[in-house]
Amino acid sequence: MIELIGSLLILAGAVFLFSAGLGLVRMPDSFTRIQAGTKATTLGNVLIVVGLAFYHPGWTLKLVLVIFFVLMTNPVSSHALSRAAHRIRTPMAPATVMDALADDQKTNEAGGAT
Amino acid sequence: MSDADSNRKDTETPLRSHGLISLWTVLLVVWTVANSTVAAVVVLLGAAITMPIAWILTSSGSTWSRIRWTPDGLLHFSLYGATFLVELVKANIAMMGYVYAPRIDIKPGIVKVRTRLKSPIGRLALANTIALTPGSLVMELRGDALFIHLLDIDGIDAEAMTETIVRPFERHLEHVFG
Repeated sequence: MIELIGSLLILAGAVFLFSAGLGLVRMPDSFTRIQAGTKATTLGNVLIVVGLAFYHPGWTLKLVLVIFFVLMTNPVSSHALSRAAHRIRTPMAPATVMDALADDQKTNEAGGAT
Repeated sequence: MSDADSNRKDTETPLRSHGLISLWTVLLVVWTVANSTVAAVVVLLGAAITMPIAWILTSSGSTWSRIRWTPDGLLHFSLYGATFLVELVKANIAMMGYVYAPRIDIKPGIVKVRTRLKSPIGRLALANTIALTPGSLVMELRGDALFIHLLDIDGIDAEAMTETIVRPFERHLEHVFG
């Protein structure tokens, strides 16, 4: 019974990871791809690790630590990637409505230091 | 408060020993959890190892000096954790909705929003949280301005949406990190 719960959690995690992969293929530009990758992989990883904890109760504490590090590092890497992408002027999807960051940079260049 | 003021925010001189103890505690908890034992030898060894690390990391910057280990802070930290989990699940379901839609019809954009949080670690926590909430990703942090990439801002007032993304977390983080 416990193993069944663990298996279901791991299956759910795998579904989220698959969605993340599909999102990477289907999204229109780098930034939306990063978004798809960050969220679905975070929950997918967490679910798989929790499922693993059902199989090996002795590992629970270490797995909690794994979840903690995933939650800490995943957003940071997505933040760094998107920031770098924006800095080298990676084109955004044609559907993009507004870019407050580029506007802010323009006013900074025009008006000097703020 | 102007931009310049909030960048130069070290008005209240934080106690270095406070930051040292905060970081030391966090590192020691991580050590104990990683070893999954509370045997005296292991914990003492951990204390001896994490102390110099905490010492070095707190010798530059006051990042760790502003955590409030009060009951109020801990209560709001757990509330923040609960809100965060709910938002994480919502974000994933929303993302699956976009990914499996027959035609991806989104209007992404970057909006600018100001935060009330003062401490660097509080802003870090807020930025990390926003990256995991529905359809939003922090791209740049300048002073107290966050630049958030939104997956779909079509038909929604960007300012109002920003308020609903940032404020719920900010309210709790304010009590913990200041």
